Amino acid sequence: MPSQFLLTPMVELLRPDGIVANLKASSKKQVLQEMAKRAADLTGQHERAIFDVLLERERLGTTGVGRGIAIPHGKLPALPKVCALFARLDRPVDFDSIDEQPVDLICLLLAPESAGADHLKALALVSRMLRNPLFCEKLRGADTADAIYALLTHTEASNAA
Amino acid sequence: MHHVDTIIFALGSLLMLAILAGRASSRVGAPLLLVFLALGIAVDKLANFQFNDYRLASLVGSIAIAVILFDGGLRTPRAVFKVARWPALVLSTIGVLITAGVTCVVARWLLGVGWAQGFLIGSIVASTDAAAVFLLLHQRGLRLRPRVSALLEVESGLNDPMAVFLTLLSIHAVQGAGFGWAQLGQFALEMGGGGIIGIAGGFALSALINRLELSAGLYPILALAGTLFIFGATQTIGASGFLAVYLAGFIIGNRRVKARQIIERFHDGLAWLSQISLFLMLGVLVSPDTLVRVALPALVVAVALILVARPLAVTLCLSFFGFAWNERLFISWVGLRGAVPIFLGLLPVLSGLPGAETYFGIAFAVVLLSLLAQGWTIGPAARLLDVEIPADPEPASRADIDLPVDGPQQLAMLTVSPDSEAAVRGLGRLVVPESVRVLAMIREGHPVAPEEVRVLYPGDAVLVLGEPAALTVMERLFGRRDHGRRAAGLGDFQVKGDTPLATVAGLYGFEAPGVDGDIAIGEHLGRRLGRRASVGVRLKVGEVALIVAAMDEARVTEVGIDLTPNERPWTRLRQGLKGLRKRTA
Repeated sequence: MPSQFLLTPMVELLRPDGIVANLKASSKKQVLQEMAKRAADLTGQHERAIFDVLLERERLGTTGVGRGIAIPHGKLPALPKVCALFARLDRPVDFDSIDEQPVDLICLLLAPESAGADHLKALALVSRMLRNPLFCEKLRGADTADAIYALLTHTEASNAA
Repeated sequence: MHHVDTIIFALGSLLMLAILAGRASSRVGAPLLLVFLALGIAVDKLANFQFNDYRLASLVGSIAIAVILFDGGLRTPRAVFKVARWPALVLSTIGVLITAGVTCVVARWLLGVGWAQGFLIGSIVASTDAAAVFLLLHQRGLRLRPRVSALLEVESGLNDPMAVFLTLLSIHAVQGAGFGWAQLGQFALEMGGGGIIGIAGGFALSALINRLELSAGLYPILALAGTLFIFGATQTIGASGFLAVYLAGFIIGNRRVKARQIIERFHDGLAWLSQISLFLMLGVLVSPDTLVRVALPALVVAVALILVARPLAVTLCLSFFGFAWNERLFISWVGLRGAVPIFLGLLPVLSGLPGAETYFGIAFAVVLLSLLAQGWTIGPAARLLDVEIPADPEPASRADIDLPVDGPQQLAMLTVSPDSEAAVRGLGRLVVPESVRVLAMIREGHPVAPEEVRVLYPGDAVLVLGEPAALTVMERLFGRRDHGRRAAGLGDFQVKGDTPLATVAGLYGFEAPGVDGDIAIGEHLGRRLGRRASVGVRLKVGEVALIVAAMDEARVTEVGIDLTPNERPWTRLRQGLKGLRKRTA
């Protein structure tokens, strides 16, 4: 039985240059700023617009889902397709997570205003993947950005098989 | 050594052995009650006790169950009772009847017994056990969706009278008596009388406790005396003493009574003692030869009960109360049997029924199998079926101090645990409930003024005054935080309850047709769920499911969003199994 995640595999969301292996930041705000900056480089959108969207979502409730994971996300009108950015922090920061644990693995997801189901599927995919503690330990132990990229896309490939 | 001394020596050693064995068993996760039961059987076999005084067993059993039920009522908060009372009531009356009936049909079909005998077997094993449920649901680290655990607890407190009634009824039937108005009257007396005397007794006992000026140590004894008085009086007039003491305990536990802490502590200990002695005694009472003889029929009854009767009863009874499929499955699985069936198994023996020991043997074996199969697997089953919610931090070590004056305030000494919120944030940055006042602090044995303290260290003791609910919050702040438990069952993401529904709908691309978009998401969820609203309960809205993630009184303050609620049940199960396999690998 094929998984329904087949439709939006991680490879389609994440580019190899969308990985930051050792992001340096000292606060939640700085993390979001840094990631907005990199997302702006990747997508060609305004850094400020991305940051505002992410901040707006955090105001509704934290995206720190526990176990050191955060999945900030939001919608941007001019974005052509759903895209992801993954960062591993140099040192964990306080993210107001639901379990109050500091966060060190962050997967940012941005979606076009019109992406209804795709956005949902991408979020569900990332959320499911990062819920696996063994997998997160692998991400924490990976040496390079390439290794992280391989892990993220490979898990998806093996899931889909 | 004198005979008396030998008995005292044996009792003391047995109790010590039971406690030590229980301690050791927690390492392998064996259900405690199973250990006590097994120890009883082992002692019986090894020491050749030859204990077969069913009358004494029935006396000790009655007292022990009364004490356990009273203690269970005592620690059932009003909110828990309120959330579960109707489904629990249906499950503990009609549900027990269905369970007994279905077990009877299977027993008749597979074991070839008569209708009356089959129904007797069904009735004996039909009720879930308060001791087992209370104990196993409050294991360290296990926290279930509140509505599920509330239902299981309240059900186990309420369903004994029905099982007692059905058992007595079928004993009469086996003896050849018919069924008529007299039996219905008896049922009304059991339930009605038990209910009324229990509630009235609870109020009277709490008034008596508050009225009398006694030395502190006498209050718990007064409560115990009251329990036995209520139980005995109710049973004497033919009503259900089990129901009465549970309700009396519930009333006292939810009213302001003097010396509450000491009463609760005493009854906690007493309930432990009752559980240990009850299960030890029952273990000693059964002869292993009987167990071997009835092993096969008992297995048939147990399988019928666990896999057919209970699930059917739960499904039929709970279909109108809005429980999700996984919750119903879990409730079906956690129909824990314990002391009550074994106790009911004594009744045919006491009534002098032919082949009575077989019933007792079957009851015993069914309980053994239930504790083995169900008791051992509660934790994994909760994770597999996704009814577990993140555990609260371990409560801090807390010592309550009784105030000599009446009032809503309580005084307690809390000790800072390592890794606690208090140790991380210090007093200044700790969000303390409004009603709480920090009165004094002790560090390394010396008093320190709280206003001079910025950082708290593990081991610091803080004296606080506040309302009971606020002190519970403080306990969490001072307790060790539980790292590494995922927020199972509360959705992929969470938003605050005051977020407009339209905002969330826009963000996650789902539609909520016919709903005013300005309404706050928490309010919408609360309105749609009505009385069912409790943490973990979900509501499908468009493509997603909204889940109550946190509540403040009746208000939904946090809402979880499950992005893939359409996943088929078996897909989830399969994924759960995969996860389990990985964990064990």
